[in-house]
Amino acid sequence: MSPSFDAVVIGAGANGLVAAAVLGRAGFRVLLLEREHALGGQGRVIEFAPGFRAAPLATDPGWLPPPVAHGLGLEGLRRVPHDAPVTLVTGSGKCLTLWRDGSRAADAIRKHSDRDAARWRAFTARLGKLAGFLEALYEIPAPDVDLPTGDLLSLLGLARKFRGLGRDDMTEFLRILPISVWELLDDTFENGSLKAAIAPGGVRDLRQGPRSGATGFVLLHYLVGAPAGAVRGRGAWRDGPEAFTRAAESAAKRHRVTIRTGAAVARIQVREEAVAGVVLANGEEIEAKRVLSTADPARTLLGWVDPVWLDPEFLHAAQKIRYRGCTALVLYALDGLPEIPGLASPDALRGVVTLTPSLEALEKAADAAKYGSVSDRPHVEFSVPSMHATGLAPAGKHVLVARAQYAPYRLRDGGTWDEPRRDALADSVTAAIANVVPGFASRVLHRVLWTPGDLEARYGLTEGAATHGETTLDQILFMRPVAGWGRHAMPIRGLYLGGAGTHPGPGILGGPGWLAARRVIADGGNHRRDR
Amino acid sequence: MKRYDTIVIGGGHNGLIAAAYLARGGRKTLVLERRPVLGGAAVTEEVFPGFKYSVFSYVVSLLRPEIIRDLELPRHGLQILPLESTVTPLENGDYLAAWADPDETRRELCRHSPHDADAAVLFGRLMHHMAMAVKPILGMVPPDPASLAPSDLRSLLRLGGHFRSLGATRFHALHKLMTMSSADYLDEWFDFDPLKATKSASGIIGTFLGPRSPGSAYVLLHHYMGEIDGAFRAWGFQKGGTGAISDSIANAARSFGADVRTGVGVERVLVRDGRATGVALSTGEEIAASVVVSGLDPRRTFMQLVEPKELPGGLVEGVGRYKFRGSSGKVNLALDGLPSFTCMPGEGPHLRGAVSISPSLEYLERAYDDAKYGEFSRQPYMDIVIPSMIDPGMAPPGKHVMSIFVQYAPYHLNGGWTDSKREAFGDTVVKTLARHAPNIESLILHRQVLTPADIERITGLSEGNIFQGELALHQLFFMRPVPRWAKYRTPIRGYWQCGAGTHPGGGIMGGSGRLAALEILKEGGR
Repeated sequence: MSPSFDAVVIGAGANGLVAAAVLGRAGFRVLLLEREHALGGQGRVIEFAPGFRAAPLATDPGWLPPPVAHGLGLEGLRRVPHDAPVTLVTGSGKCLTLWRDGSRAADAIRKHSDRDAARWRAFTARLGKLAGFLEALYEIPAPDVDLPTGDLLSLLGLARKFRGLGRDDMTEFLRILPISVWELLDDTFENGSLKAAIAPGGVRDLRQGPRSGATGFVLLHYLVGAPAGAVRGRGAWRDGPEAFTRAAESAAKRHRVTIRTGAAVARIQVREEAVAGVVLANGEEIEAKRVLSTADPARTLLGWVDPVWLDPEFLHAAQKIRYRGCTALVLYALDGLPEIPGLASPDALRGVVTLTPSLEALEKAADAAKYGSVSDRPHVEFSVPSMHATGLAPAGKHVLVARAQYAPYRLRDGGTWDEPRRDALADSVTAAIANVVPGFASRVLHRVLWTPGDLEARYGLTEGAATHGETTLDQILFMRPVAGWGRHAMPIRGLYLGGAGTHPGPGILGGPGWLAARRVIADGGNHRRDR
Repeated sequence: MKRYDTIVIGGGHNGLIAAAYLARGGRKTLVLERRPVLGGAAVTEEVFPGFKYSVFSYVVSLLRPEIIRDLELPRHGLQILPLESTVTPLENGDYLAAWADPDETRRELCRHSPHDADAAVLFGRLMHHMAMAVKPILGMVPPDPASLAPSDLRSLLRLGGHFRSLGATRFHALHKLMTMSSADYLDEWFDFDPLKATKSASGIIGTFLGPRSPGSAYVLLHHYMGEIDGAFRAWGFQKGGTGAISDSIANAARSFGADVRTGVGVERVLVRDGRATGVALSTGEEIAASVVVSGLDPRRTFMQLVEPKELPGGLVEGVGRYKFRGSSGKVNLALDGLPSFTCMPGEGPHLRGAVSISPSLEYLERAYDDAKYGEFSRQPYMDIVIPSMIDPGMAPPGKHVMSIFVQYAPYHLNGGWTDSKREAFGDTVVKTLARHAPNIESLILHRQVLTPADIERITGLSEGNIFQGELALHQLFFMRPVPRWAKYRTPIRGYWQCGAGTHPGGGIMGGSGRLAALEILKEGGR
């Protein structure tokens, strides 16, 4: 007979660790279940070739909301902000590094356009300010029209922050959310290389090209928490890619959370319209009146819950959530640091190196995916995490993590990701890198391709979507995961969602888990009676 | 120099409606139209002897019922004949039809997908609710969310109250409609691809978006509005062509005492000490007025009719990035007889309705892909009607006129539009049509091909955009045309805007002209 728990948290990624710790801190007896043998979810470090390791989905570890850091005593975590957050490299020695330092970036841009160089600082300052407002929005439960009066206060605080943007930025915020990153950049800059360097941030993990509406929002979304002046990325952890997982794990343990790894959930038990516990894949039953799942909405709601407990409208909406994984990863074990002719400093390899030379080329890469095909010339960007964390590779050797878009999970006419197709994609990524790194192919010791299907199998991500659901305007805030159910409690009493598929979404370390756990606490202040 | 209280620049339908309301409100009003015909993009012209074309805008449904009532338009000649059906030829030789009779439409849809036939009923109800939810917004002057003025705050609160009163379910449904792509939106409802394509086609009209681009679902509603809330609850033809709508509005304006002059181009608006004092004509003549209203699009209103230096920098910048991106063309044919469609051979009731060349979502999306890279679609979306079938007066006996709305034809074509490109575009349209109606080529007596560049040249609509600027989410409501200047006013006192480049936007709706006039009357002409 298992000991009884007040709450079961599913998934020990950032959100699960944070949710479990927050519940433990509030006095709940918490069991945290992780399918894998290691903690960390998308942030876990994996040995993909003998001696070579990486956290491929966490090359940008994401933003840690200050309330989460304070609440769990994680303030000690330190980042190393990239000096060179993004560099466009197009071959033949042509590089454009967008330095975090404004004047340095402006100098680099001036070689392409005086006008754009003059506009650079104002542009990054404005993005920073608008992302700062998103930050405020992401620290509170998603506001909705049928807001309970108790939450009006937080909304008023938000309204004050909005007004605080000032007249121009207020309207600019509303204007930028729905526009395409193409328009956003076209409105500001004239130089194609500069635009190409920034735009990929707006289509990150999206099955859309830069001309699609709301890619302006996606750019802003992934800039939340970025250091001033940076247009990509939030900087690596000083103490290595596992720093956050280790800190969150010790916070969870400090709050007496029981952690079980290798424990895959098979079912969430519901009795009389309320959660009764979970059943593991090995048949073991665990009783609990609250289950907080940080797996994505499809796995939780469609995979583990018997549909008889869900209203048809809700079920229909849950089935219609769009995941559309379209990012493939290629992991390279290299026998040395890749050398890029024309690169101002090897520091640029610490940030994102992006290879798509123009907005048009990025859009063309997306076109194929619309029809269920893999891009012939995918958008490729990479970083070299072993620059920050020497332990990831043997001495003198390096790890290069390349992200390739667009490689759709679902292929047209029932096509499958067979070997020739996999090889073709990996080869085209290698060729794209070799185009800017002479002799690249001969430096590759190992190469591993993860398609969206591989990501699904490895990380439990539906359709291989690291986002847990596309970050389009109809799938964020009070619409995430399902319209009207944006506040983490699901229609079955005791069932909560707290993964990236809920507000505030992907790339926010523990943000959804923290809000979901607080919702659990608010709903059940009398939990001690469960004992 | 003759003196007027108000001069309206541009005799398009919005300008005429504004003038009619102003005259009705007691203003001595003059309308100045550059072209010899009234109507702007709502004109009827006899381009070839005996053949009358609704040259640009060709069907109507959105015209606001309150305007028809207030201006008594039926008394002045408004007479709408219903467009009875839509037929989509399919790739396999079959067709998909929607008829005036809902039962018949249901049976037809059942033939393709029983599921969709059921879904269509629920979808229709939802669209009805959405149209009702949007209706009060279409009829209100947009508040400025960045303003602290009591009137704006009151208006914002009212708007917030309106959304709350919708209830969460309808509010969320509206949010989806405003933000999704029409393809994704329709995917949630329907299975049968040609049905989704035909419905989503109305989501792409006049915008530079494909059916898979987020934001295209809203235009879907925009076009549903008329069917649900419009005076006629369906798309229809004006007897005598679209120009006769403009004539009826002009007649109404005259009946209230307005003067309407055609063939009079305005060179610029006269401004002294930050206020409008009249207009200067291209002939050099000047006409004084204390209020000048521009029915032209935002680019012409702010960058051409006045000196941009009279305007604050933010406004000039905002107008500079306002998106026109004309994406559609028009081909008007004079026919020796009736086309015979392979999917429905010979004459029949389907020729009294629309024929939509939208066989699949992928077809439309690929048409968009061509335009994205600066080419006109090799296989375009086309909306085809034969007005002479409904109003025989449009063509000589036994002959016909055919109106083909075509998308996509980008204004910014690679290498620019030339005469030969225009003809190539016309050939593509005819060739695409001939795939479905093989006899068409032998019937053509005359052909008028209008590219976005032609639309711009003839009507003055910047970049040939039929809505005076795209109906994209970031260009709607309080952002149309530019945040802070969405309430029909301009920074120049006495200078106003009333075109479709202001809320609620394009289509023969008239909301912009009416709301602008009501604001001017409320201000007492300052």
